[in-house]
Amino acid sequence: MSLFEYAVLAGLFYGLYFALVGVGLNLIFGVMRIINLAHGDFLMLGAYGAFYIYHLLGWNPLWAIPIELVVFLGLGLPLYYLLVPRLQKSGDPEMLSFILFFGLSQVIEALAVFAFGNDQRSIPTSVFGGAPIHIAGQIYPSSWVVSAAVALIGIVLIYLYLYHTRAGRATRAIMTERSEAVVTGISVHRVSAVAFGIGIASAALAGIFSPFMFGAIEPSMGLGITVTSFVIIVIGSLGNPLGTVLGGILYGEALMLMQTFLTSWSEMFPYVLLILILLVKPSGLLGKAVRSA
Amino acid sequence: MIRKTLLLMILGVSSLIFSLGAWAAPSVIKIGTLYAGSGNFSQASTRQYAGLQFWADQVNAKGGVYVKAYGKRIPVKLIAYNDQSSTTLAASLYNRLITQDRVHILIADYGSVLTSVAIPLAREHRILLFDETGTSGKFFRPADKNRYIVLTGLPTSSEWPKVLANFMRKLGIQRVAILYAANDWSGSQANTLKSTLKKLGADVVFFESVPDSTSSYSTILHRIAEAKPEAVAEFGYSNNDVAFLQDYASSGLYFPMLFVPNPALHFEVVRKAVGNAAMRYVYSYVAPPLIRYNREVTHGPTLDAFEAAYTKSGGRNIDLSTVAGYNTGLIVQHALAKAAKYTQESMRTAIDAFSGKIFTLDGLFKVNHEGAQIGESLPVGQILPTPSGLKLQAVFPVESAAAKYVYPQPRKP
Repeated sequence: MSLFEYAVLAGLFYGLYFALVGVGLNLIFGVMRIINLAHGDFLMLGAYGAFYIYHLLGWNPLWAIPIELVVFLGLGLPLYYLLVPRLQKSGDPEMLSFILFFGLSQVIEALAVFAFGNDQRSIPTSVFGGAPIHIAGQIYPSSWVVSAAVALIGIVLIYLYLYHTRAGRATRAIMTERSEAVVTGISVHRVSAVAFGIGIASAALAGIFSPFMFGAIEPSMGLGITVTSFVIIVIGSLGNPLGTVLGGILYGEALMLMQTFLTSWSEMFPYVLLILILLVKPSGLLGKAVRSA
Repeated sequence: MIRKTLLLMILGVSSLIFSLGAWAAPSVIKIGTLYAGSGNFSQASTRQYAGLQFWADQVNAKGGVYVKAYGKRIPVKLIAYNDQSSTTLAASLYNRLITQDRVHILIADYGSVLTSVAIPLAREHRILLFDETGTSGKFFRPADKNRYIVLTGLPTSSEWPKVLANFMRKLGIQRVAILYAANDWSGSQANTLKSTLKKLGADVVFFESVPDSTSSYSTILHRIAEAKPEAVAEFGYSNNDVAFLQDYASSGLYFPMLFVPNPALHFEVVRKAVGNAAMRYVYSYVAPPLIRYNREVTHGPTLDAFEAAYTKSGGRNIDLSTVAGYNTGLIVQHALAKAAKYTQESMRTAIDAFSGKIFTLDGLFKVNHEGAQIGESLPVGQILPTPSGLKLQAVFPVESAAAKYVYPQPRKP
């Protein structure tokens, strides 16, 4: 198996993980038309949760999954009612959300510095057994395979929620046309609050695996991750969670192929890809011709 | 006649008042510096600043620093701003320290990136820049004829890997892979290692840079493996080293020798991040506090005394950044104690005069005409298991060696 094939499969693992990173941001945008610039900071909090579960309690970081899903879902609901309805009453909720959530991001980062310190932290990759996993004749870090598998499960669960539950159908109705959803009697705020909670919880879920995918975690990691998430969801299509999966995989493939063959340019290429896609298809790969915000 | 005498008297009194004003001692010595409260450099920068603060507290407890120009002790006042690891913000804050706060002493933030923006400002305003850890060789080019910079600790980064290159050749290593992050500090080390190895007859079979923000090295490691190197040297900031070591540990790949620079600078930070298994038998530089200067010290406390006092005062465990911050305070203190006049030029002259003659907890302080540190050298160390846990120990050159190296490194179970 060649380096090319190695990079393609590595890109798939990396891409699935980044799809999970971005899916919550896109869900929140799709339902509420607000940009959660604190998305990466919720991921960072999830990462520290896993770090402390491992280092203080000595538990496998996988135990952080049920704990953090409950905690962050619970955090998302009151946060929604505190912030979002007020934003939506304003004349330009999209722009105002940029500012408000940027402020929230800075507050979370500052508090995290107080709480966790500035040092980089991580979790040894050996928690998943240590031995790398052989796939198609190549060797991949077990942490990557586990991260990608959990990401895939998370994305499938969000898909099942959106397409096979009553609340999910209501969520999609709001994403399609909010005013019509209100007329049909959908409790917009209740459904949106759940979507907001799911968005934040998915970020925290991704955060659990960030020590393995990013090498280490630190309080200031949030903003960079939010920007990457934004690139991914714009590539796929703003407001379309399925587009995020495609965007994530494209991002992962672009990054890994560039790291393999043009290492020095690897961090830039995904952004070149973003520009190209926006020039050719401004609404994103899975976007409609016109997006009504 | 009376008018002429009166005029002379007025002139005489005015010049006396003027000269008294000029020689009047300031009530405090204002020392301006920056630290990164967040961002890429925050962990090292805050530790470095803590070391400097500790020095300031210590001298103020004794009534301040002795200033030869005034023949008395004067308290120091640290004025510090948070540049958030941003060079743009740092440039504006350095300017503020010089033009608005009018500091007497200017000390750079951690590392070459945040120091780089201070250099042109210091030169323009003719204020001596005390460079704590900005070791890029570009700062000290003879062609620039810049006398307003002094590197207080660590040699310039382009000097660091020379001992490493010699060590690799001593081991008989012929094929070396070099990977580096695209920044001055890492690039200059990588280039020096490459050129020195070539001079010594070794083959550099892989030589590439990655962006600073690289957090995944898995595919790159596989590319390196294709080149079949006997040794791999990765140069980057601690975030790069941590990701590199994490990915190497889980890659299933094997290289007989692995070198990364940051365990020398922040051993505990890297160890806590990647775990013991990923650190074992990795090579790095060895710098204070891992080299402990005690008997040699002629100026300031020994390293043991400093560590005891620092931890007693509530500080965290010391690392190179903490030592660098404290050491800069010592050099500033000595410059003020030796400078005949309270001017930037006089301080620079005083530094030249005591260069090579004082030994601090950081090593021999010796700078060249351009202000580059040439007194210290960095031996090669290896992270070896000991009964009390992992320890980075000097293994080369022989005169610095504290332990026998293990080469090739054992395969991970």
